[in-house]
Amino acid sequence: MTLRLASFGLIASLFVGVIYVITKPLILESKEEARIAELYALAEPLLSDGTIQTPISKELPSDAPTSLVRPLLITPIVDTTGQIGAVIPFRSTEGYSGTIQLLIALDKNQKIVGLRAIDHRETPGLGDKIDTQKTDWILKFNGLSYQDLSPNEWAVKKDGGRFDSFTGATITPRAIVEALRDTMSYLNTHPELLETSQ
Amino acid sequence: MKVVTLWLDGLWDRNPGLIQLLGLCPLLAVSNTLENAIGLGLATLFVLVLSNGSISLIRNLVDDAIRLPVFVLVIAALTTCAELLVQAFDYPLYQSLGIFLPLIVTNCLILGRAEALARREPLFISTMDGLAQGLGFFLILIILGTIREWASETLILAALPPGAFIALGLLVALHQVIQSKVKHLRARVITNPKERRVRTTGDIS
Repeated sequence: MTLRLASFGLIASLFVGVIYVITKPLILESKEEARIAELYALAEPLLSDGTIQTPISKELPSDAPTSLVRPLLITPIVDTTGQIGAVIPFRSTEGYSGTIQLLIALDKNQKIVGLRAIDHRETPGLGDKIDTQKTDWILKFNGLSYQDLSPNEWAVKKDGGRFDSFTGATITPRAIVEALRDTMSYLNTHPELLETSQ
Repeated sequence: MKVVTLWLDGLWDRNPGLIQLLGLCPLLAVSNTLENAIGLGLATLFVLVLSNGSISLIRNLVDDAIRLPVFVLVIAALTTCAELLVQAFDYPLYQSLGIFLPLIVTNCLILGRAEALARREPLFISTMDGLAQGLGFFLILIILGTIREWASETLILAALPPGAFIALGLLVALHQVIQSKVKHLRARVITNPKERRVRTTGDIS
Protein backbone atom coordinates (compact mmCIF):
# COMPACT_ATOMS: atom_id res chain seq x y z
CA MET A 1 0.00 0.00 0.00
CA THR A 2 2.82 2.38 0.82
CA LEU A 3 4.29 1.65 -2.58
CA ARG A 4 0.96 2.31 -4.20
CA LEU A 5 0.58 5.61 -2.35
CA ALA A 6 4.09 6.59 -3.43
CA SER A 7 3.34 5.79 -7.06
CA PHE A 8 0.17 7.90 -6.93
CA GLY A 9 2.34 10.70 -5.59
CA LEU A 10 4.76 10.24 -8.46
CA ILE A 11 2.02 10.25 -11.09
CA ALA A 12 0.43 13.36 -9.62
CA SER A 13 3.79 15.17 -9.52
CA LEU A 14 4.50 14.22 -13.12
CA PHE A 15 1.09 15.54 -14.12
CA VAL A 16 1.62 18.85 -12.34
CA GLY A 17 5.14 19.01 -13.80
CA VAL A 18 3.86 18.67 -17.36
CA ILE A 19 1.26 21.42 -16.88
CA TYR A 20 3.93 23.59 -15.24
CA VAL A 21 6.30 23.23 -18.18
CA ILE A 22 3.52 23.94 -20.67
CA THR A 23 2.18 27.03 -18.88
CA LYS A 24 5.51 28.48 -17.78
CA PRO A 25 6.23 30.60 -20.89
CA LEU A 26 2.62 31.81 -20.95
CA ILE A 27 2.76 32.78 -17.29
CA LEU A 28 6.01 34.70 -17.78
CA GLU A 29 4.43 36.51 -20.71
CA SER A 30 1.31 37.46 -18.73
CA LYS A 31 3.43 38.62 -15.82
CA GLU A 32 5.51 40.79 -18.14
CA GLU A 33 2.36 42.30 -19.66
CA ALA A 34 0.93 43.01 -16.22
CA ARG A 35 4.26 44.53 -15.17
CA ILE A 36 4.34 46.89 -18.14
CA ALA A 37 0.71 47.95 -17.63
CA GLU A 38 1.55 48.59 -13.98
CA LEU A 39 4.61 50.60 -15.01
CA TYR A 40 2.53 52.88 -17.21
CA ALA A 41 -0.06 53.45 -14.47
CA LEU A 42 2.69 54.12 -11.94
CA ALA A 43 4.77 56.62 -13.89
CA GLU A 44 1.77 58.36 -15.44
CA PRO A 45 2.52 61.88 -14.08
CA LEU A 46 5.93 61.76 -15.75
CA LEU A 47 4.64 60.43 -19.04
CA SER A 48 3.05 63.62 -20.33
CA ASP A 49 6.39 64.50 -21.87
CA GLY A 50 8.54 61.51 -20.91
CA THR A 51 8.69 58.01 -22.34
CA ILE A 52 9.50 54.70 -20.71
CA GLN A 53 12.79 53.18 -21.83
CA THR A 54 13.94 49.58 -21.75
CA PRO A 55 15.10 48.55 -18.28
CA ILE A 56 18.80 48.55 -17.42
CA SER A 57 20.24 46.27 -14.82
CA LYS A 58 22.87 47.55 -12.41
CA GLU A 59 25.03 45.82 -9.83
CA LEU A 60 24.38 47.07 -6.31
CA PRO A 61 27.15 48.04 -3.86
CA SER A 62 27.52 45.59 -0.99
CA ASP A 63 26.12 48.04 1.57
CA ALA A 64 22.75 48.29 -0.21
CA PRO A 65 19.73 47.39 1.95
CA THR A 66 18.02 44.03 1.49
CA SER A 67 14.90 45.83 0.29
CA LEU A 68 16.63 46.39 -3.04
CA VAL A 69 16.53 43.48 -5.44
CA ARG A 70 19.90 42.38 -6.87
CA PRO A 71 20.75 43.25 -9.56
CA LEU A 72 18.77 46.49 -9.57
CA LEU A 73 16.52 46.76 -12.61
CA ILE A 74 16.08 50.44 -13.46
CA THR A 75 13.46 51.55 -15.94
CA PRO A 76 14.45 55.09 -16.97
CA ILE A 77 11.94 57.70 -18.04
CA VAL A 78 13.42 60.28 -20.39
CA ASP A 79 12.29 63.34 -22.30
CA THR A 80 14.18 65.57 -24.71
CA THR A 81 16.23 67.06 -21.88
CA GLY A 82 17.42 63.69 -20.61
CA GLN A 83 16.38 61.45 -17.76
CA ILE A 84 13.46 62.83 -15.75
CA GLY A 85 12.77 59.86 -13.52
CA ALA A 86 13.04 56.14 -12.96
CA VAL A 87 10.99 53.17 -11.90
CA ILE A 88 12.64 50.54 -9.71
CA PRO A 89 11.39 47.45 -7.96
CA PHE A 90 11.94 46.84 -4.27
CA ARG A 91 10.57 44.37 -1.76
CA SER A 92 9.78 43.64 1.82
CA THR A 93 10.36 40.27 3.41
CA GLU A 94 8.74 41.40 6.67
CA GLY A 95 5.14 40.99 5.49
CA TYR A 96 2.65 38.64 7.08
CA SER A 97 3.11 35.92 4.50
CA GLY A 98 5.83 35.81 1.90
CA THR A 99 7.63 38.60 0.11
CA ILE A 100 5.80 41.75 -0.90
CA GLN A 101 7.02 42.96 -4.28
CA LEU A 102 6.71 46.69 -4.86
CA LEU A 103 7.40 49.16 -7.63
CA ILE A 104 8.27 52.78 -7.10
CA ALA A 105 8.47 55.63 -9.58
CA LEU A 106 10.71 58.57 -8.61
CA ASP A 107 11.30 61.82 -10.41
CA LYS A 108 14.80 63.25 -10.81
CA ASN A 109 14.61 64.92 -7.39
CA GLN A 110 13.73 61.52 -5.87
CA LYS A 111 10.20 62.58 -5.10
CA ILE A 112 7.75 59.66 -5.07
CA VAL A 113 5.59 59.78 -8.17
CA GLY A 114 3.92 56.43 -7.68
CA LEU A 115 4.11 53.42 -5.40
CA ARG A 116 2.38 50.06 -5.90
CA ALA A 117 2.45 46.60 -4.39
CA ILE A 118 2.58 44.38 -7.44
CA ASP A 119 2.75 40.93 -5.87
CA HIS A 120 1.87 39.85 -2.35
CA ARG A 121 0.08 37.16 -0.38
CA GLU A 122 -1.17 39.28 2.51
CA THR A 123 -4.39 38.27 4.29
CA PRO A 124 -7.54 39.14 2.33
CA GLY A 125 -9.59 41.77 4.17
CA LEU A 126 -6.66 42.82 6.38
CA GLY A 127 -3.20 43.16 4.91
CA ASP A 128 -4.39 43.27 1.33
CA LYS A 129 -5.56 46.85 1.82
CA ILE A 130 -2.17 47.81 0.41
CA ASP A 131 -3.67 46.91 -2.95
CA THR A 132 -4.99 49.85 -4.97
CA GLN A 133 -7.98 47.67 -5.83
CA LYS A 134 -8.94 47.65 -2.15
CA THR A 135 -7.95 51.01 -0.67
CA ASP A 136 -5.98 54.15 -1.56
CA TRP A 137 -3.55 53.66 1.31
CA ILE A 138 -0.47 53.21 -0.84
CA LEU A 139 -1.21 56.34 -2.89
CA LYS A 140 -0.66 58.55 0.16
CA PHE A 141 3.09 58.30 -0.32
CA ASN A 142 2.90 60.22 -3.60
CA GLY A 143 4.75 63.52 -3.56
CA LEU A 144 7.04 62.66 -0.65
CA SER A 145 10.82 62.89 -0.71
CA TYR A 146 13.11 61.27 1.82
CA GLN A 147 14.15 64.65 3.27
CA ASP A 148 10.52 65.71 3.82
CA LEU A 149 10.39 63.62 7.00
CA SER A 150 12.85 62.90 9.75
CA PRO A 151 14.10 59.27 9.83
CA ASN A 152 11.85 58.59 12.85
CA GLU A 153 8.80 59.76 10.98
CA TRP A 154 9.37 57.14 8.30
CA ALA A 155 7.35 54.61 10.31
CA VAL A 156 3.74 53.66 10.98
CA LYS A 157 1.89 55.72 13.59
CA LYS A 158 1.99 52.83 16.04
CA ASP A 159 5.80 53.07 15.98
CA GLY A 160 5.75 56.84 16.39
CA GLY A 161 5.87 57.60 12.70
CA ARG A 162 3.74 59.42 10.20
CA PHE A 163 1.85 56.70 8.34
CA ASP A 164 -1.50 55.05 9.05
CA SER A 165 -1.77 51.31 9.51
CA PHE A 166 -4.94 49.21 9.21
CA THR A 167 -7.14 48.07 12.07
CA GLY A 168 -6.05 44.55 12.90
CA ALA A 169 -3.12 44.59 10.52
CA THR A 170 -0.02 46.56 11.44
CA ILE A 171 2.54 44.08 10.14
CA THR A 172 1.87 44.67 6.46
CA PRO A 173 1.96 48.51 6.46
CA ARG A 174 4.98 48.43 8.78
CA ALA A 175 6.76 46.07 6.40
CA ILE A 176 6.13 48.38 3.47
CA VAL A 177 6.97 51.62 5.26
CA GLU A 178 10.24 50.18 6.57
CA ALA A 179 11.28 48.78 3.20
CA LEU A 180 10.38 52.13 1.64
CA ARG A 181 12.41 54.01 4.26
CA ASP A 182 15.48 51.81 3.70
CA THR A 183 15.19 52.18 -0.05
CA MET A 184 14.60 55.93 -0.03
CA SER A 185 17.36 56.66 2.45
CA TYR A 186 19.86 54.57 0.51
CA LEU A 187 18.94 56.19 -2.80
CA ASN A 188 19.16 59.60 -1.12
CA THR A 189 22.83 59.01 -0.37
CA HIS A 190 23.49 57.16 -3.64
CA PRO A 191 21.60 59.21 -6.26
CA GLU A 192 23.95 58.00 -8.98
CA LEU A 193 22.33 54.56 -8.76
CA LEU A 194 19.25 55.81 -10.57
CA GLU A 195 21.15 57.56 -13.30
CA THR A 196 21.38 55.80 -16.59
CA SER A 197 23.27 57.14 -19.55
CA GLN A 198 20.90 57.01 -22.46
CA MET B 1 -32.71 8.12 -15.02
CA LYS B 2 -29.86 8.20 -12.56
CA VAL B 3 -28.21 11.00 -14.54
CA VAL B 4 -31.41 13.05 -14.43
CA THR B 5 -31.48 12.65 -10.65
CA LEU B 6 -27.85 13.71 -10.46
CA TRP B 7 -28.57 16.89 -12.39
CA LEU B 8 -31.69 17.66 -10.36
CA ASP B 9 -29.69 17.13 -7.16
CA GLY B 10 -26.79 19.32 -8.22
CA LEU B 11 -28.81 22.19 -9.61
CA TRP B 12 -31.73 22.21 -7.22
CA ASP B 13 -32.69 19.44 -4.79
CA ARG B 14 -29.33 19.17 -3.06
CA ASN B 15 -27.59 22.23 -4.42
CA PRO B 16 -24.13 22.51 -2.84
CA GLY B 17 -24.56 26.22 -2.11
CA LEU B 18 -28.13 26.19 -0.83
CA ILE B 19 -28.73 22.78 0.79
CA GLN B 20 -25.44 21.04 1.47
CA LEU B 21 -23.85 24.41 2.32
CA LEU B 22 -20.45 23.12 1.26
CA GLY B 23 -17.63 25.36 0.13
CA LEU B 24 -19.01 28.38 1.95
CA CYS B 25 -15.66 30.09 2.44
CA PRO B 26 -15.01 30.79 -1.25
CA LEU B 27 -18.73 31.20 -1.93
CA LEU B 28 -18.99 34.06 0.55
CA ALA B 29 -15.57 35.57 0.05
CA VAL B 30 -15.32 35.69 -3.71
CA SER B 31 -18.91 36.59 -4.63
CA ASN B 32 -18.28 40.33 -4.14
CA THR B 33 -18.14 40.91 -7.89
CA LEU B 34 -19.61 38.98 -10.78
CA GLU B 35 -16.25 38.64 -12.53
CA ASN B 36 -14.60 37.04 -9.49
CA ALA B 37 -17.62 34.79 -9.01
CA ILE B 38 -17.45 33.53 -12.59
CA GLY B 39 -13.68 32.98 -12.37
CA LEU B 40 -13.76 31.02 -9.14
CA GLY B 41 -16.90 29.15 -10.21
CA LEU B 42 -15.24 27.93 -13.38
CA ALA B 43 -12.00 26.99 -11.60
CA THR B 44 -13.96 25.00 -9.00
CA LEU B 45 -16.03 23.33 -11.73
CA PHE B 46 -12.83 22.35 -13.54
CA VAL B 47 -11.27 20.82 -10.43
CA LEU B 48 -14.49 19.09 -9.35
CA VAL B 49 -15.19 17.43 -12.72
CA LEU B 50 -11.62 16.21 -13.13
CA SER B 51 -11.25 15.09 -9.51
CA ASN B 52 -14.52 13.16 -9.63
CA GLY B 53 -13.42 11.61 -12.93
CA SER B 54 -9.94 10.63 -11.83
CA ILE B 55 -11.06 9.35 -8.43
CA SER B 56 -13.66 7.21 -10.15
CA LEU B 57 -10.96 5.81 -12.47
CA ILE B 58 -8.67 4.81 -9.62
CA ARG B 59 -11.47 3.73 -7.27
CA ASN B 60 -10.54 0.04 -7.44
CA LEU B 61 -6.85 0.66 -6.77
CA VAL B 62 -7.33 2.58 -3.54
CA ASP B 63 -8.22 0.87 -0.30
CA ASP B 64 -9.42 2.52 2.88
CA ALA B 65 -5.96 2.93 4.40
CA ILE B 66 -4.71 5.32 1.71
CA ARG B 67 -8.02 6.65 0.45
CA LEU B 68 -7.87 10.11 2.01
CA PRO B 69 -4.24 10.90 1.18
CA VAL B 70 -4.78 9.83 -2.41
CA PHE B 71 -7.95 11.89 -2.80
CA VAL B 72 -6.32 14.97 -1.30
CA LEU B 73 -3.32 14.41 -3.56
CA VAL B 74 -5.53 14.24 -6.65
CA ILE B 75 -7.44 17.38 -5.65
CA ALA B 76 -4.26 19.28 -4.77
CA ALA B 77 -2.61 18.34 -8.06
CA LEU B 78 -5.65 19.45 -10.04
CA THR B 79 -5.94 22.71 -8.10
CA THR B 80 -2.29 23.48 -8.78
CA CYS B 81 -2.97 22.92 -12.47
CA ALA B 82 -6.03 25.19 -12.32
CA GLU B 83 -3.92 27.86 -10.63
CA LEU B 84 -1.20 27.60 -13.29
CA LEU B 85 -3.78 27.75 -16.10
CA VAL B 86 -5.57 30.81 -14.69
CA GLN B 87 -2.19 32.46 -14.22
CA ALA B 88 -1.27 31.73 -17.83
CA PHE B 89 -4.52 32.75 -19.49
CA ASP B 90 -6.06 35.40 -17.22
CA TYR B 91 -3.42 37.03 -15.06
CA PRO B 92 -5.63 39.89 -13.77
CA LEU B 93 -8.18 37.31 -12.59
CA TYR B 94 -5.39 35.37 -10.89
CA GLN B 95 -4.43 38.55 -9.07
CA SER B 96 -7.95 39.39 -7.96
CA LEU B 97 -8.78 35.84 -6.79
CA GLY B 98 -5.58 35.78 -4.74
CA ILE B 99 -5.43 33.14 -2.04
CA PHE B 100 -8.88 31.73 -2.89
CA LEU B 101 -7.61 30.00 -6.00
CA PRO B 102 -5.17 27.68 -4.16
CA LEU B 103 -7.79 27.33 -1.40
CA ILE B 104 -9.93 25.30 -3.81
CA VAL B 105 -7.95 22.36 -2.36
CA THR B 106 -9.83 22.81 0.89
CA ASN B 107 -13.26 23.27 -0.69
CA CYS B 108 -15.19 20.53 1.11
CA LEU B 109 -17.59 20.21 -1.79
CA ILE B 110 -14.84 18.55 -3.82
CA LEU B 111 -13.65 16.07 -1.20
CA GLY B 112 -17.30 15.60 -0.26
CA ARG B 113 -18.26 14.46 -3.75
CA ALA B 114 -15.21 12.20 -3.94
CA GLU B 115 -16.17 10.52 -0.68
CA ALA B 116 -19.92 10.42 -1.22
CA LEU B 117 -20.05 9.33 -4.82
CA ALA B 118 -16.98 9.20 -7.04
CA ARG B 119 -15.24 6.45 -5.07
CA ARG B 120 -18.13 4.05 -5.76
CA GLU B 121 -19.47 5.02 -9.15
CA PRO B 122 -18.17 4.51 -12.71
CA LEU B 123 -16.52 7.28 -14.72
CA PHE B 124 -19.59 8.56 -16.55
CA ILE B 125 -21.78 8.90 -13.48
CA SER B 126 -18.98 10.51 -11.46
CA THR B 127 -18.17 13.03 -14.18
CA MET B 128 -21.84 13.90 -14.58
CA ASP B 129 -22.10 14.37 -10.83
CA GLY B 130 -19.04 16.62 -10.87
CA LEU B 131 -20.57 18.69 -13.67
CA ALA B 132 -23.97 18.93 -11.98
CA GLN B 133 -22.61 19.83 -8.53
CA GLY B 134 -20.01 22.16 -10.00
CA LEU B 135 -22.63 23.95 -12.09
CA GLY B 136 -24.93 24.16 -9.09
CA PHE B 137 -22.12 25.82 -7.14
CA PHE B 138 -21.26 28.03 -10.11
CA LEU B 139 -24.88 29.21 -10.45
CA ILE B 140 -25.13 30.19 -6.80
CA LEU B 141 -21.81 32.03 -7.07
CA ILE B 142 -23.09 33.94 -10.10
CA ILE B 143 -26.43 34.77 -8.47
CA LEU B 144 -24.69 35.95 -5.30
CA GLY B 145 -22.11 37.87 -7.32
CA THR B 146 -24.81 39.62 -9.37
CA ILE B 147 -26.93 40.49 -6.34
CA ARG B 148 -23.98 41.80 -4.36
CA GLU B 149 -22.44 43.77 -7.19
CA TRP B 150 -25.83 45.33 -7.96
CA ALA B 151 -26.77 46.01 -4.34
CA SER B 152 -23.37 47.39 -3.36
CA GLU B 153 -23.97 50.43 -5.56
CA THR B 154 -26.53 51.69 -3.07
CA LEU B 155 -25.63 49.65 0.01
CA ILE B 156 -21.94 49.23 0.83
CA LEU B 157 -22.85 46.40 3.26
CA ALA B 158 -23.57 44.15 0.29
CA ALA B 159 -19.92 44.23 -0.75
CA LEU B 160 -18.68 43.34 2.75
CA PRO B 161 -18.55 39.85 4.35
CA PRO B 162 -21.75 40.32 6.43
CA GLY B 163 -23.57 41.22 3.23
CA ALA B 164 -22.51 37.90 1.75
CA PHE B 165 -24.01 36.01 4.71
CA ILE B 166 -27.27 37.96 4.52
CA ALA B 167 -27.61 37.51 0.76
CA LEU B 168 -26.88 33.77 1.00
CA GLY B 169 -29.32 33.44 3.90
CA LEU B 170 -32.08 35.03 1.82
CA LEU B 171 -31.31 32.69 -1.08
CA VAL B 172 -31.41 29.63 1.20
CA ALA B 173 -34.75 30.80 2.62
CA LEU B 174 -36.16 31.36 -0.85
CA HIS B 175 -35.01 27.89 -1.90
CA GLN B 176 -36.70 26.36 1.15
CA VAL B 177 -39.98 28.11 0.41
CA ILE B 178 -40.03 26.97 -3.21
CA GLN B 179 -38.84 23.50 -2.26
CA SER B 180 -41.66 22.97 0.25
CA LYS B 181 -44.23 23.97 -2.38
CA VAL B 182 -42.61 21.60 -4.89
CA LYS B 183 -42.62 18.78 -2.36
CA HIS B 184 -46.37 19.12 -1.87
CA LEU B 185 -46.90 18.89 -5.59
CA ARG B 186 -44.58 15.90 -5.92
CA ALA B 187 -46.24 14.09 -3.05
CA ARG B 188 -49.54 14.30 -4.89
CA VAL B 189 -48.14 13.06 -8.18
CA ILE B 190 -45.74 10.33 -7.05
CA THR B 191 -47.15 7.67 -4.79
CA ASN B 192 -43.95 5.64 -4.41
CA PRO B 193 -41.60 7.16 -1.83
CA LYS B 194 -38.17 7.96 -3.19
CA GLU B 195 -35.31 5.60 -2.53
CA ARG B 196 -33.32 6.79 0.48
CA ARG B 197 -29.89 8.12 -0.21
CA VAL B 198 -27.01 8.97 2.07
CA ARG B 199 -26.90 12.62 3.01
CA THR B 200 -23.69 14.50 3.60
CA THR B 201 -25.54 16.96 5.81
CA GLY B 202 -28.28 16.68 8.39
CA ASP B 203 -31.90 16.05 7.53
CA ILE B 204 -33.58 19.18 6.29
CA SER B 205 -37.34 19.32 6.34
